[in-house]
Amino acid sequence: MAAELVTAVDVGMSVEAIKASQMGMKALGAGIAVGLTGIGTGIAEMGIGSAAVGAVAENKDMFGLALLFTVIPETIVIFGLVVGLLLLFL
Amino acid sequence: MVGVKNISAPYIYVCTRMRVRKAKLLPKEEYMRMLNMSLPEITRLIGETEYKQEIDELATTFKGIDLIEVALSWNLAKEYQKIQEITPGNLKQFTQAYLRRWDIQNVLTILRGKMQGVKAGKIKEILVPAGSLDANVLDRLLPEESIERIIDALKGHRMYPVLAREYPYAKESGSLSRMENELYKQFYAEILAEGEGGIKGGNLFLDFIKLDIDIKNIKTLFRLRADTFKEDARDMHIIGGALSVTNFANLNNIDDQGEFIDQLKAKIRQKLLLSLLEDMRTEKTIRDVEVRLTRVQLEQMERMSKRNPISIHPILVYLEKKKYEVFNLRALARGKESKLPSEKIAEYLVV
Repeated sequence: MAAELVTAVDVGMSVEAIKASQMGMKALGAGIAVGLTGIGTGIAEMGIGSAAVGAVAENKDMFGLALLFTVIPETIVIFGLVVGLLLLFL
Repeated sequence: MVGVKNISAPYIYVCTRMRVRKAKLLPKEEYMRMLNMSLPEITRLIGETEYKQEIDELATTFKGIDLIEVALSWNLAKEYQKIQEITPGNLKQFTQAYLRRWDIQNVLTILRGKMQGVKAGKIKEILVPAGSLDANVLDRLLPEESIERIIDALKGHRMYPVLAREYPYAKESGSLSRMENELYKQFYAEILAEGEGGIKGGNLFLDFIKLDIDIKNIKTLFRLRADTFKEDARDMHIIGGALSVTNFANLNNIDDQGEFIDQLKAKIRQKLLLSLLEDMRTEKTIRDVEVRLTRVQLEQMERMSKRNPISIHPILVYLEKKKYEVFNLRALARGKESKLPSEKIAEYLVV
């Protein structure tokens, strides 16, 4: 009974529709990868950024170092972006 | 996610600022250098640090020890007011509550000054307007002729009921010590109630206050032991710490130093304090005991702030450390002014 149902679905979709669906899934996967890593980066930067602003407010010389520390979590979103690009173009 | 939900960006911002400020406080080596300097050299050195602005502003009006005294008081008040401005939400409430102790100190300084006939200008030099009574209110109190009028001018302030109740006794005895005890008791009762009020972070605030109360009670016990005449210990006990009134009174009645230390240790939990008390089995001078207790208190507070880096602790630790930096510099300057030997001055420093 189940085998018959699967056959029926397969028969109902053209090759173009299946390809479009797969592309859609890839796009969805890429979106989720970039979106979630973006949220992760945001959370990480919240703490580091507020501490960095606090430190710079007290000592201006810390600006360069503080900026460097603040952007370190950007790597997380870059990983997400790489995964997204791989999904879309490979 | 728990950490993210509980810690907000403004808290991290303020706690970091406090830690940076704490790192800028004078290190021990600097005090050791100052011990070998003369008063003008100390003034110049202080003028190159965080106190530069105050020293520059006041240098035309004051000289010598007065310049240092006023500059330190101004800097302390400015620092405390700035902290109240930048602290957010609950932290602000706790910080303001903690800084209310300066109201007691300022009002008592004015009352004592008036009782001894000191000029208003001289009293003003040592006031630190860091609590709820700002510089304008204190300026209005200073020209008042009599103590009754000063107390009346404070009508509506939380200290007024205690001041009005205790003044007749103070007038009769000529001493404000009982009034001071009562004001501090009221202050601690109020801040304990504030910490227990169910506000987020209240527990951490309470830990800090309870440690403060414990150290204060232990200092009082040692002072009472060093005292030649007997006083009622119950009047001097502050409620809220590890020692109950009964324990406090019982401890005060123990004459043997070893037994006193054993009984006291049974009531205390902090390891640092326990090892310090062990050292105190041999009789020491009251000044030595107080300085060492203060050092332990600061050390314990520092540990608490490291355990809870994003809480009220880093702020309160900075407030305390800044206060002791000012006390140390004042002690150094006064010691040099009185031509005390460096070793003697070093005993008074809390580093």
